[in-house]
Amino acid sequence: MLKLACQYMKYYKSQTFAIFASIFLTAVLLSGISTLMYSSRQNDLENSRTMYGDWHYRVTADVNSDAGSDKSDFEDIYKELCGKVQRKEKGSGYRLEQCGRAQMKGMLTVPYEIRFLYADESCRRMTHCQLIEGREPVKDNEIAADNYTLENLGFSGGIGDTLNLGGDIYVLTGIVKSRWASGIDEMNLFVGEEFGKDSAAEQNILYFKFDENEKLYVQLEAFQRAYHIPGDAVEANEDITMYLSGERPDSIIDIIKFALTDERGNFTYIILKLQSEYNFAFNGMLVLLLLFGLFVIYSVFNISVSRRKAEYAMLQTLGISEGTISGTLIFELWILFLAGYPLGLIAGNSILRLCGRKLDGIFTSKINGAAYGERVQNAEDYAGIHVPWEMIAAGFVFLFFALAVVGFLTVRTIRKQTLSQAMAGDTAFMKQSRPVYSKRGCNLANIVTRKFMFSDKRKVIGIILSLSIGGCIFLCTTYMTENLKVHAQMAFKSDDGLGSEYRVSVRSDSMADTIPASVIEEMKDIAELSEVYASKYIMGELVIKKEQLEWNEYFREKNKDSYYQERYGGICVDKGNGTYGIKYDVYGYDTGMIEELREFLLEGEIDLNKLEKRNQVIAVANQDGQGNYNFYGLHPKDTVTLRVPKEINCPADVLKFDADSTEYVEKQFEIAAIVSRALAKEDNYLNVNNWSNSQSFIMTNRLIEDNYGISGYSIVNASPVTGADTEKIGGKILKTVRDVPKAVFRDYTAAIETQKNYLKRRQLFFSGIAVILLVISLFHIMNSMNYSVFAHRREYGIIRAMGITDAGLYKMILRMGILYGLLADVFIFLIYHLLFRRVMDYYMVHVVQFLHISAVIPAGVFGMIMVLNVAIAVLAVMIPAGKIAAGDIIEEIRR
Amino acid sequence: MNILELQHIEKIYGVKENQVRALHDINIQVKEGEFVAIVGTSGSGKSTLLNLAGGLDTPTKGRILVKGKEIDSLSRKELTVFRRRNIGFVFQSYSLMPVLNVYDNVALPVTFDRGRHVDHKYIEELLRELGIWDKRRKYPAELSGGQQQRAAIARALANRPAILLADEPTGNLDSVTTIEVIGLLKASCKKYSQTILMVTHNEAIAQTCDRIIHIEDGRVLGKGFVRKHFFSGEGGEVPC
Repeated sequence: MLKLACQYMKYYKSQTFAIFASIFLTAVLLSGISTLMYSSRQNDLENSRTMYGDWHYRVTADVNSDAGSDKSDFEDIYKELCGKVQRKEKGSGYRLEQCGRAQMKGMLTVPYEIRFLYADESCRRMTHCQLIEGREPVKDNEIAADNYTLENLGFSGGIGDTLNLGGDIYVLTGIVKSRWASGIDEMNLFVGEEFGKDSAAEQNILYFKFDENEKLYVQLEAFQRAYHIPGDAVEANEDITMYLSGERPDSIIDIIKFALTDERGNFTYIILKLQSEYNFAFNGMLVLLLLFGLFVIYSVFNISVSRRKAEYAMLQTLGISEGTISGTLIFELWILFLAGYPLGLIAGNSILRLCGRKLDGIFTSKINGAAYGERVQNAEDYAGIHVPWEMIAAGFVFLFFALAVVGFLTVRTIRKQTLSQAMAGDTAFMKQSRPVYSKRGCNLANIVTRKFMFSDKRKVIGIILSLSIGGCIFLCTTYMTENLKVHAQMAFKSDDGLGSEYRVSVRSDSMADTIPASVIEEMKDIAELSEVYASKYIMGELVIKKEQLEWNEYFREKNKDSYYQERYGGICVDKGNGTYGIKYDVYGYDTGMIEELREFLLEGEIDLNKLEKRNQVIAVANQDGQGNYNFYGLHPKDTVTLRVPKEINCPADVLKFDADSTEYVEKQFEIAAIVSRALAKEDNYLNVNNWSNSQSFIMTNRLIEDNYGISGYSIVNASPVTGADTEKIGGKILKTVRDVPKAVFRDYTAAIETQKNYLKRRQLFFSGIAVILLVISLFHIMNSMNYSVFAHRREYGIIRAMGITDAGLYKMILRMGILYGLLADVFIFLIYHLLFRRVMDYYMVHVVQFLHISAVIPAGVFGMIMVLNVAIAVLAVMIPAGKIAAGDIIEEIRR
Repeated sequence: MNILELQHIEKIYGVKENQVRALHDINIQVKEGEFVAIVGTSGSGKSTLLNLAGGLDTPTKGRILVKGKEIDSLSRKELTVFRRRNIGFVFQSYSLMPVLNVYDNVALPVTFDRGRHVDHKYIEELLRELGIWDKRRKYPAELSGGQQQRAAIARALANRPAILLADEPTGNLDSVTTIEVIGLLKASCKKYSQTILMVTHNEAIAQTCDRIIHIEDGRVLGKGFVRKHFFSGEGGEVPC
């Protein structure tokens, strides 16, 4: 069998090369993309470590210093764990790699909420708060801090200089590393271990890092058992642990069972759950690539075998068993696979290494962050290529066995025909009706072309599929990329809060702390700034009837958050009179920012004149975890009742909206429009988790002032004019807002630059992949169509002998190419609009949850694909046509 | 009048040590209306000679004149058109288009020349003459060998060519069908005043022709004989 397989490979060199090339390209694609995706995931993890700290879990314990035994217990555990780490000792079911301790020694509330924190060296390392300048604070009046905290405290001095905080004087002994810009939500002043030792209580936090080669949730469970740590005392660093099996995943059977049996379950639930628990997108993409590769290999191999079908039938007549023929085919495939797969892997990874740095972060799921005032993802931080050996081995095993199946399937197609049929060739056309075409005045050359094409419908479908697959992938990728671009720009402005380079906000629990209009005017006077948008804020409550609340589950989940419970008595509260009160952010936007909201429009219209004339508001819809939007079944022109505190300087309890009704102003508004996101967002009240999409109403700045008397501003966004010196602008803004109590300045320039750069690379990559897939399918098309023309080589020879000119022959074959191209165009058009686009829309809306699916494929791209299809088909048939025309007529007839 | 003239034809295949001289100084003249048999052993060069005469191949040396026109001087396209209009081919393996029925197979070469203007009366006459009118809707694979060869003859005659070149037209047929096919060829030769050049290795068939040209090792042996009785009804052979 092996000898026969080798002989066939030697004899059919070009076909052997085609099969080898299809295996090689599959391996290139598989290794390249899987490595890239895996590397991006690993790089994501590294980025997350930079942003969120290199720790997995932390346990918080309030230790009463008076109860000595508690404290000593805590100390004992800490020392024991540190000892284990030092000795690299394995615990029962877990291995601790690092352990660090932080102690909260006190807190300042004026001018901001600032914590006095002691952290040991290990903790500093894990939380990326290492000292970058100066020395550690030791004495009671010594502190170290990051630039962000110092800048916002108005400190312009250097190490050794003093700061006055709440009447106490502190000496700055060191500068610590700044944290990620978008993630800054707390200000810390680092102090020595002895700081505030006389205080009554302190909060201890233990940070842990386990062995990442083992599943984290398994180690955590073992650790909790060993030290009797209750589950609610443990907090996971989710941005890290999500990559390392930080939580026990639900079984696939359970997921499907839930989706089928629970009323909340649906198909989207399954997809999203598989994505979060089993990295569905990564694994799914690899499976699709494998199937695509296998389809190409099968098709190329099938064509190769169909050329020698008659020979195999002949061999069978000579007594060679079907098993031997199957074995020969499988050996042939395996030999080529064993040569092509490793070479493809090497080639794929080599290509990736060549352009890896440019493609880094392509599959990352979040912005590559930038630390305050600096870039994190510098070239030096490039985490490199990580080869997913497990995936590559799985691909090898899958293809190895799949190729055996391909061999058997091919033999089955031979078996379907009798031996004489196999030797005689196709006779399918005889089943058709038998008109005399020449009597109908038909062009017989056209008839022959058509009959050659459609004599075997399966082959035609195969060719049209191959012709279409590249185009479809290209169209889908373009559609996805175009929408990704729109989504990224919108998410950039709304979810990431990176719509403007500079942001000044008030860091305070009191809505009375605002930025005066005069400061806004001063900012507008800064020549280097453009689009200075100032927004006003007040917290409110939407009152709706009980039956209007369609998403009970949604708010039940939100209500669970202890932060909302403690501060506001929950997000959605039963008022007891048949209504619910839902806490809302109520914003007043600048006209420019209201205009920008049009991009986010779901329903209704945004007309500035009407908004003010008719006292209208814009409502931000709620979005569930599956990408669905809802606004309590209300629509534009419906009316909403909104309550806000009467006094902006109200006590904290008034914000629970359960005080006496005299404490509130209640007004009705007409809904002008419903949008998917708010732009300028507060981050002190409801929107405290990094740029979450909390429920909001938006009106113009004039309306919020007219209705509720809000005159001061809470948030200012601004962008630099083109070519402005961005470093100087930061200083100018800081100078402007320095005297505004509790005003905080943030510079997102680096983060925006990183994000834009990342988006460009991502678009480029997806287009690149589409082109590669197009090339692979092109290779397959060439092979299939080459075969389809050469299969009728003898007949073309006869026609030539009958006196058709070369031009006539070319025209005849050209017709075939054009027809294939046009059929593929129709097929692409139909399948793209009827199936692929719908699937893509579903994926983008419900799985990756793009903000708006508004982009369509540019007509030019569509036209290009259509023309390209015809061109490819024509090229694919004209190459063999040229060979036939150049061949000797007698030789052709004798074939 | 000579309708076909081959002057000092040489045909060499291959190069250097692989060179094979298929034909050597061949000189043949064929008169209009003649039915000539070319006989010889396998590999003697008879099919090569026929292909050269039909313009399907080009000679290494020498001139070929068909209806007084030197076909070597024609361009590729001119040669194709000339061949289509003046020469009909009948092959041993019938070489019918498997995807077309008998009628369309016969009409096919006409459509190359005259587009859609097919003389359907003539095709019907041909098919009736050849006894396959009732098989006109059948595909080649559904016909017997003799029927397929009849269809091939009809196709060769469809353009009313001056010369019909038949390469072993009975090679795949049984003896009864062979006689039928040869009879048909002769009949059509007479009816349409056509010149037929037929390659065969069957001496008995060759004996029924007007003239026999023997080829061995690429050379013509003698000049052949004219059988008088076929057209004139008289018996005996005279050298031409």
